Amino acid sequence: MNLSRLIAQHSARQARPDLWSRRDFLKTASNATLAALAAGAPRSLFAAGELEKIAPTADRVIVLWMAGGMAHTETFDPKRYTPYVPGLDPNEVLSTFPSIPTNVDGVRFSAGLEHLANVMDRGTLIRGMQAADLGFILHSRHQFNWHTGYVPPQTVAAPHLGSWIARTLGPLDPAMPAFINIGQRFDLGEGEELKAFTTAGFLGSEYGPFNVAFPEQAADAVRPPAGMSPGRFANREKFYRELLAASPIGREGSGYQKDSLLRSMDNAHRLLSSPAAKAFDLSLEPLARTRKYFPTYEPGMRFDAPRDRFGAKYEESMIGRFGLGCLLARRLCEAGARFIEVTTEYIPFLNWDTHENGHARLVGMKQMIDAPIAQLVLDLEERGLLDRTLIVIASEFSRDMMLEGKPEKTVKDQVPVPTVLNDAKFYGMHRHFTAAGSVLMFGGGMKRGYVHGVTADERPCKTIKDPVTISNLHASIYRAVGIPANHGYDVEKRPFYVTADGKGQAVRPLFARG
Amino acid sequence: MNPHFSAPLGAAVALLIYSLIGTVPSVAAEPVQFARDIQPIFEASCVQCHARGKEKGGFSLETRADFLDGGENGLAAVVGHSADSPVMKLITSLDAETVMPKKGKKLTPQQVATFRAWIDEGMVWPPEINFAKHEPANLRPRAWASVAVPAPAVNPVDSFVAQSTAQPAGTWPQPVDDRTYARRVWLDTIGLLPPPAELAAFVAEGAADKRERLVARLLENRQAYAEHWLTFWNDLLRNDYKGTGYIDGGRKPITSWLYTALARNLPYDQFVAQLINPGAEAEGFTNGILWRGAVNASMVPPMQAAQSVAQVFLGVNLKCASCHDSFINEYTLKDAYGLASVYADGPLEIAECDKPTGHIGQVKFLYGELGLIDGRADSATRKRQLAEIITGRANGRLPRTIVNRLWQRFMGYGLVEPVDEMDKPAWSPALMDWLAEDLVAHGYDLKHTITRILTSRAYQLPAVNVGETEEHYVFRGPGVRRLSAEQFSDALLTLSGSEHAAKADARLNRTVALQGATGATLPLQPKWIWTTAHAAKKTKPAAVVFKREVTLPALPTEAFIAIAADNSYTITINGQAYGASSKRTSAGPDLIDMRDKFKVGVNTLSIMAVNLTPEGATPIPPAVIGPNGKALPFDPKAPQLEFPPEANTTAGLILYARVRAPGQIMDFVSDASWQTEVGPVFELGGVELAPWQLGPSFLELAAAQPEKLPVQRASLLAADPLMAALGRPNREQVVTVRQGTATTLQALELTNGATLAAALKAGAEKILTTGPKDPAQLATTLYLQALSRGPTPTELTFATQLLGSPVQAEGVQDLLWALAMLPEFQLIY
Repeated sequence: MNLSRLIAQHSARQARPDLWSRRDFLKTASNATLAALAAGAPRSLFAAGELEKIAPTADRVIVLWMAGGMAHTETFDPKRYTPYVPGLDPNEVLSTFPSIPTNVDGVRFSAGLEHLANVMDRGTLIRGMQAADLGFILHSRHQFNWHTGYVPPQTVAAPHLGSWIARTLGPLDPAMPAFINIGQRFDLGEGEELKAFTTAGFLGSEYGPFNVAFPEQAADAVRPPAGMSPGRFANREKFYRELLAASPIGREGSGYQKDSLLRSMDNAHRLLSSPAAKAFDLSLEPLARTRKYFPTYEPGMRFDAPRDRFGAKYEESMIGRFGLGCLLARRLCEAGARFIEVTTEYIPFLNWDTHENGHARLVGMKQMIDAPIAQLVLDLEERGLLDRTLIVIASEFSRDMMLEGKPEKTVKDQVPVPTVLNDAKFYGMHRHFTAAGSVLMFGGGMKRGYVHGVTADERPCKTIKDPVTISNLHASIYRAVGIPANHGYDVEKRPFYVTADGKGQAVRPLFARG
Repeated sequence: MNPHFSAPLGAAVALLIYSLIGTVPSVAAEPVQFARDIQPIFEASCVQCHARGKEKGGFSLETRADFLDGGENGLAAVVGHSADSPVMKLITSLDAETVMPKKGKKLTPQQVATFRAWIDEGMVWPPEINFAKHEPANLRPRAWASVAVPAPAVNPVDSFVAQSTAQPAGTWPQPVDDRTYARRVWLDTIGLLPPPAELAAFVAEGAADKRERLVARLLENRQAYAEHWLTFWNDLLRNDYKGTGYIDGGRKPITSWLYTALARNLPYDQFVAQLINPGAEAEGFTNGILWRGAVNASMVPPMQAAQSVAQVFLGVNLKCASCHDSFINEYTLKDAYGLASVYADGPLEIAECDKPTGHIGQVKFLYGELGLIDGRADSATRKRQLAEIITGRANGRLPRTIVNRLWQRFMGYGLVEPVDEMDKPAWSPALMDWLAEDLVAHGYDLKHTITRILTSRAYQLPAVNVGETEEHYVFRGPGVRRLSAEQFSDALLTLSGSEHAAKADARLNRTVALQGATGATLPLQPKWIWTTAHAAKKTKPAAVVFKREVTLPALPTEAFIAIAADNSYTITINGQAYGASSKRTSAGPDLIDMRDKFKVGVNTLSIMAVNLTPEGATPIPPAVIGPNGKALPFDPKAPQLEFPPEANTTAGLILYARVRAPGQIMDFVSDASWQTEVGPVFELGGVELAPWQLGPSFLELAAAQPEKLPVQRASLLAADPLMAALGRPNREQVVTVRQGTATTLQALELTNGATLAAALKAGAEKILTTGPKDPAQLATTLYLQALSRGPTPTELTFATQLLGSPVQAEGVQDLLWALAMLPEFQLIY
């Protein structure tokens, strides 16, 4: 989709705040959505017309997922820096990096995030994020909670944030999948648990994620199968149409089963042959621009990131991969995607999941995210898209050197911490901390250069002002795209809401317009 | 308008109007009639929370006496004195926190006036009117005689259908042709497309009863039947080979038990009884799925068991009632806790919306009239009693629920819809009741009911389009249905005559399941051995090494060890470790080939059994034996199992070693002759011992040959991206009906997905080497295989063009793809 059409759509929406009338929904919904409605798929509670009408401040959402638990004191909420010396008392250590100023007075980040520090004037920073209290910690369970608002196990398959939005708003460009998920493989540790929330759940698979594990290979996902020339692909499609027309049943009347099948094939083919598909092809991006996301990028580079959790090569390839994910997200935004998630990838004990060598590993993690995210912000701004794109950088919980869980309710330790640090590998935030956390947002109607919430400057570095729960963070994200927190759908006659029990409250101070 | 002011204002306006026209309904003029004036108010505004078994705030108005009893906050009404009746304050309150009804619309001023008058007039309430729970529908078995077949017919199903549709069978459309029928029944009985040769033979057959005989023949194929229905039951019972919960041992597969039950066509009442009151092999179903960490009260394992048992076997949704009294049906929090308590080790405190209430759940079945469960009895007894009640003759719900599920599978629309709301009436109660009684009368043989339905004229009607929900459903013929992900995956392979490339993820011994005892004699009786005499009741977690020496007079030519441990085992022979179970999922028995491991003379056998804590959400043992027979070093990354210093080291196992040489039986078993370093060994009992209840299947396994399981069916594999895209659920929740609508993401997977591309490529290669060389002949063969019919002349022209001459690999791939994409292939007509 071209930009002018996109902008035309935005203004149409802005001019008509009544986005929520059912009629409007029917107009914008995809054919498959209509089929699902006709077929009695989960009924929208919206039809009742009793929900608040919200003028959206964002048209699309990008979640940048810091998988594995990003320590707030090592990133966006630095505390007193204590350099490593053998014999150090771990209780002394709050941050293992010095802090640096940002371009907003009085707001400091941890060293290594210089690029992001330079765009903080466009950002809203939540410092009092509160993860749920789920007992003995399992990353994927907290990730489930963050992405769905619900805690597993559940009697109903809870939909992912992206699926709620896809189901409710549909894609901006009808050829585009509404929910695109970049950077996560599912055949690694806790892969089954990740699958359990990377799903549309009861909303039906039409609203599920379009998964792209490796951004540099994204084009393959919307291209003919490997080894098939475009000519052969087109011919195969043509031949299928001919056989379909020739088949006695193909000629017979309609039925929802057959219609949905044919329509799905049409939709797939439309994406594969649409201009929107080009957005997936990173080789079409000018090299100079790509290198702003991944400085050492070479055309044709492909990295199946190794699974070996101890290889140096692993970290190197991961750094570039996330950067390319951010670039891909930008391209997909331009082409009409609705919800995009880019993850640093969750693999137990890797990336942000630092059970040892936390300090050393975070040098690489910051490299992985700093320049690409800042570039994404600048690129969207340059294209006039930042104001209507909500970027959310978040993680399932934070980390601490000493505390597992939260101060008033610690849970079973998973990482041994020696009483005296005599080895640098113990220097870092290795335990899972749920009483604070940072979420950085850009665009989408949020304030610029604003910090929300305060955490303690001494251990426990917990939230002491303006805590934000997942439910309320979700309510804020939904509010930005115009969805009330008590919007939901009926499943098995039970109302199931976008925020747990429909009770999320948007954090209004985050919004520029309040 | 502010709703707080609307009611009084509305009342004022109403009074004004009434006084103007002079017809104010003088509440005193005509006495209030309960049935006419009060009952509708109760029904609309009160009973949802205060009747039908529910008593919010301790207040019930099921009867007049209940009403007068009041609730937790004291009395509700004083007869004759509305002014002193607290209920009047509540229904007129302006405070949103206290006003009644709490849900829905406020009472109108007129309703309030009527209510006031009713109290003042003495609360007249005819004793025959009450608001007790409704007698549950579809519960009592209908007496056989009263379900008489309306008109004699070859298949009584048709008489009932004719009766309910008011369409005499004589006026029905012609049944579908042989090919269409064959394709349907092949897919519906064993899940596969008919092989062209068998199809041709069937079409050529002239016998009048050939369709009946086809169904019978297909159902006799026990392996194919089991491997097709495995999918259906895996969905219902949440059984899968990979999935959430396994990493922490919070889940246990039941595959081996399930496969055996299907292969042997275990009568349905026994099937259900063994799932409700399970041994070690089937307990995964009621154990549920646990993730690490704290769990909401409504999802603790006993509550999951209650939800699953109610939904799967009774078509009852207890999900809402697990948290609070349900708003969508009449089941209450107490009902849910009553059933859950059967599965709890101790008393279960009732929590409402995860907040403890201080009340303890009383063990009971949902329908007390069907039988009682002894709340003081131990868990094993309670489960046995529950199984007896649910599978008892007095419970007509069990057979109705399963015949409805079968009907829905074959006809695309249930007799009751949704199939999990069995409290609703069927569109033909007589048909459902008759099918249910017919199932019971034939020994709960599901194949009998399947035959009844598949040989009916109703099933043989041309397929019609049926929506997922229909407002006023009238049977017009079976609905067009979609191939399941597994059927599609299997069908694709049968097109080219190939097999799945992957290794089976299902763990089971097919030979044992199909054949049972293989004829070998087992002279010894193995015993569960533990280091405490009370292990069957409760144990503390520990690791114990059991040892013994085995002196073999000859080199064995056959040495198999059948073993089950609670929870896991590692076998070491002569200092070398061989064979270990997964950490948590053992207890179900394994058969291990140990022939090369023994030597002539004295052999030292030591087996470490590791018993883990019962909560599920727990850690992995600190050490397991490595390949050198020594404990592996401490892994700081692994969550640690804490061993309290005073803990009794208790773990146990049962083992049968079948060790043979020509003419020599050198078998040995687990018994008191084994030793440990931590104390004496106790023999607890044999294979039947509860709670493991391994039963004869353990001995069958011990007598069997191990097998490499060739994967012929997708049902034996974990979901691949193609199957997931085609709607195979992740089995985190019970799924009784899969999504039927095709989606764009599915179509993308079908258009350029790697799984399908690989299958097409492999299929084409196979066809090029083994298939016909002539393009026209090949096209005809593929059409016959894929669509159960030959190509039309037009289709043949297209297809041969695409195949090329000589036949090209790419042409074959593309024809396979195009055929597989046709609605005629993907749908069951």
